[in-house]
This record gives sequence, C-alpha cells and structure tokens, in this order.
Amino acid sequence: MAGKSRARKAKTSRRTRRIKKPVGAERPKKTDALAYLTASGAQALALPIDPAWQAGVKLNLKLLFIHAALVDEFSLPDDIEPAPVFRA
Amino acid sequence: MLEASALDFTWSSVAEIVTAVATGRMSALSIVEATFARIRGRDPLLNSFTALTEQRAVERAQALDAAQGRGEQLPPLAGVPFAVKNLFDVAGIPTLAGSKINRIAPPAAGDAALIGRLEAAGAILVGALNMGEYAYDFTGENPHDGPARNPHDLGRMTGGSSSGSGAAVGGGLVPLALASDTNGSIRVPSSLCGTFGLKPTYGRLSRAGTFPFAASLDHVGPMARSTRDLALAYDAMQGYDARDPVCVDRPAEPVTPALQRGIEGLRIAVAGGYFKCRTAESVYAVDRVAAALGVNRDIEIPHAERARSAAYIITATEAASLHLNRLRTRARDFDPVTRDRLIAAAMLPASIVVKAQKFRRWYRAEMLKLFTEVDAILAPATPCTAPMLGQQTFNVGDVELPVRANLGLYTQPISFVGVPVVAVPVPMTPLPIGVQIVAAPWREDVALRIAHALETNGVAAAMRPKEF
Repeated sequence: MAGKSRARKAKTSRRTRRIKKPVGAERPKKTDALAYLTASGAQALALPIDPAWQAGVKLNLKLLFIHAALVDEFSLPDDIEPAPVFRA
Repeated sequence: MLEASALDFTWSSVAEIVTAVATGRMSALSIVEATFARIRGRDPLLNSFTALTEQRAVERAQALDAAQGRGEQLPPLAGVPFAVKNLFDVAGIPTLAGSKINRIAPPAAGDAALIGRLEAAGAILVGALNMGEYAYDFTGENPHDGPARNPHDLGRMTGGSSSGSGAAVGGGLVPLALASDTNGSIRVPSSLCGTFGLKPTYGRLSRAGTFPFAASLDHVGPMARSTRDLALAYDAMQGYDARDPVCVDRPAEPVTPALQRGIEGLRIAVAGGYFKCRTAESVYAVDRVAAALGVNRDIEIPHAERARSAAYIITATEAASLHLNRLRTRARDFDPVTRDRLIAAAMLPASIVVKAQKFRRWYRAEMLKLFTEVDAILAPATPCTAPMLGQQTFNVGDVELPVRANLGLYTQPISFVGVPVVAVPVPMTPLPIGVQIVAAPWREDVALRIAHALETNGVAAAMRPKEF
C-alpha cells in the first residue's frame, strides 16, 4: 500500500511540475529557445497568443535579439547612468 | 477684397497667406472655405484626412476677419489653415492615434498644447490626419483607414508614421501640419512626399495632449513646404509647458529672424560610414546638398548601427509596456504587424533594455563631442524614394531589406539622442528624396539657416505634384 501511495505521489508531483501550456500556444520544440520564451512569457504576462500569430511573434523576437546582441556586446563602464528620461 | 476661391493658393506659403489676410487682400473665411473645398475635391485620392473641423474653423476665421475689420493687429499666423496627425487631441473628437481600438475612446476634452499655441497665433485648425497605427510605422499603410497616398504618385507610399501630414502638405491641401517623430516619423514622410520637416530638440516642444508611442523618444514638430514656414510655426509653438514632464524650462529662442544670416562660418560635414548609403538617389541628394554648401569633409558618427539597435529596443519595449493591457484584451483589433512586434517586445528581458539606455548615455556624449568639431552634419533621410504601396522589400546596395523596418535606417540613430534635425526635400524626377541637416541640441537655428540657404539657391524645394 505504502509503495502504491509513493508512486501516486510521485506521479502527482511530476504532473504539478509540468509547465502549464498558455492558452492557444503550440508546444514548442525543446531546442527552440525563442518559442519557449514566447510561450512562457505569454503565460507569465497573461497575454493570449493565437497559434496563428506565433510565427510573426517569433520572427519579431528573433529580430529584437539580433539588435539586443549588438547592444549587449558593447562594453560600458559600470558607473554609466542610463538615460530613461533623456535631456539633450 | 479677393476671394480665395478666385485664386489658386494651393502652393501658397504660410508667409503669403499671413500677408494676404493681414493686408485685407483675402479674408480668413475665404481661405478656410477654399481649403475645405480643396480637401473635399482632392482628399478622396490622397486619403490624408480622418476628420474635418469645419464649423470650428469657420467660427475662428470669422473672428479673425472681424478683428481685421476693427483695425486690430492680427496675430502672426492669422488665417493659416493647418491640420494635425490624429494622435493630437482635438476637442470633441476621439484621439485615434491611427488605431481601431481608440475609436471607442471618449472625445478629447480639450486640444493638444501645440494646437492651442498655433491657434493663439491665429492659425486655423481644419482637421485631423491619417497616420500609421499607434505611430509604430514607417510606411503610411494603415489597415483601418487605408493608406495615405503619395501626392507625387498615388500608387506609392507616403512614408510614416505621419503619413497624412506628408500627403496633405505635399499634396497642397494645407500649408502646415503637425506631426510626431519617435524614430523618423516626420523625416521619413518629408523625404518621400517632398516636404520640409523639423524634428526639434527633445524636450523643446510640448507633447501635452498627444497620444504617446515611446515616451523617452517621442518628439513633435511641424511639416511645411518651406523653411520659413517651419520657422514661423516653430516660433509660435516654443515655450515651457509643465503639462509635458520632459518639456524643458528654457526661454523661447526665435529662429525666423536668423534665417537671413546665411551659412557663413558654419562648419558642416557629411556623415560617413554607416550613413554612406549605396542607393543612387540618396547619393545624388546628399552629394548635391554637400556641393551646394561647399562641404568637402566627412565625419564619422561612432557606433551608429548600434545606436539604431538600441533605439529599436527602447522603442519596442516602451511601446509594448504602453499597450500591454490592450494586447491582453483587444489583440485582434491591432494591425497584425504592429501586434506581433509589440507582443515580441513584451518578452524582451529588462537587462537588455537598461543596457540600451546606458548605451544611449554613452552615445550622446560621443555625439556632443562631434558638435565641438562641426556645427551641422548632413545625412540621407531615407535610403530610397517612395516605395510602391504594398512593397515588402527594397535594396540598399546588394542587400535586400524589409521596407517597414528600414525606411528609418538613417533617422533612428539621430533622434535616439534628441538632437534637432531639419529634413529638406531634394527635387528629382520622378520622385523627391530628403536630406537630414543635423545640429547640436537647441541649435534648430543652425539647421534651419542651412535649409534656408539650400532653398534660396534652389537645391532644396517642395516639388509641386504634377496631378495637383
């Protein structure tokens, strides 16, 4: 009986660990980081994404990360201030 | 007194209209009536207006004519018709900002600050203008209102996002329009429609009562058919406004009197590297402008490509933040192209956005250093003349680029640090193209003086469209 209960518990635990699929989201391939980011981001932000929009969103996210890489690779001093409200 | 309908003042300047009204040669009312007749006749082709404010305009014109009749001195822009991009609040009309979603918004309770300032100077609002959805656009193709059409070729783009402003001014419907520019939305349509455009220093003109896009990059400014008209409008709109948190408390510095000073002593260079566009039309335009000004040196704006990337990131993420709730509740009512970009931007890690803002600080310092060496920098406004409506890509050298994201290739790294720019149109056959004159912060006068010199020697001019 005890063994059966442990097995049931483990099954439940595995079930609860599984990430809930966002509404309308296709399950992405494990190697597709952008699709994972889209799916998990949509879930975290409660953004409904129609499956038909996913290719467009992913394409735009890919483009953003291309731009992000160019910014990220640039070395800046630690003490530089951001310019969130910019005054020329 | 002449009736305006008896004259063709389609291509009249702001200055000519002011003189005609002030001297009593034409009444403000006849100008307003002729303007609406022209809009009704031609706008079905251009699709530049989304709302007309006829009753209000007639009442204002009558008040000006009555003042003129009493012998009162009229304000400096008396009788000048103008229109505004539909992200400016107009009392009694919902502020669409090019969207479907905002159509159910309540009518604006009052006017945007700059409308108030132009009207205080005697100008007369005649309507609101088409634009790209939520200003996130360089093409002028709006899926809800239809595309504004280029006055030089109705099958071509106006550029965006101030598409209606470009079409209405370039098509001779109004001599003056207000627009906004976050990454190039005044300069791109100015280039494609052949108008003059001024993107002032960030914080110079009040954005109060305008629908935002990317707050840390949003500017507002005028589009017109001459440098003098830009200057007259700009002077009427300057001044601190506490209702815009980024509007700088700085005295107005009128630029119109400075136009006659010429360019003697100004140090001007052509932007090198990233800005050396490889399309024949932009090379022609920049070379022609440089030759006319006697410019024979290049200057490198360091890391301009990276600046464009940082501007791209900040724009996308600030806009995603602005529209996050609308994306949750009304996603299907967005232009799909805008929607997909905004959703993607909502996923971008904050660490990248902050890095982009830090890079911006660094890049600003580098730009300011350049302005110790030169007073102005010349750069292409767009890589090409107006693409066809619906066109998806264009070529820059051997590289094929998507139109939508890349019409602002040369404008984004400039507005990223808020410096003032005048876009001047260089006439070509069959289509015009613009050149940016970039100056140091708060030196709109320098950029306008150079633009005026180019206009005086015939190198820059707003081409009158053949069909209008």
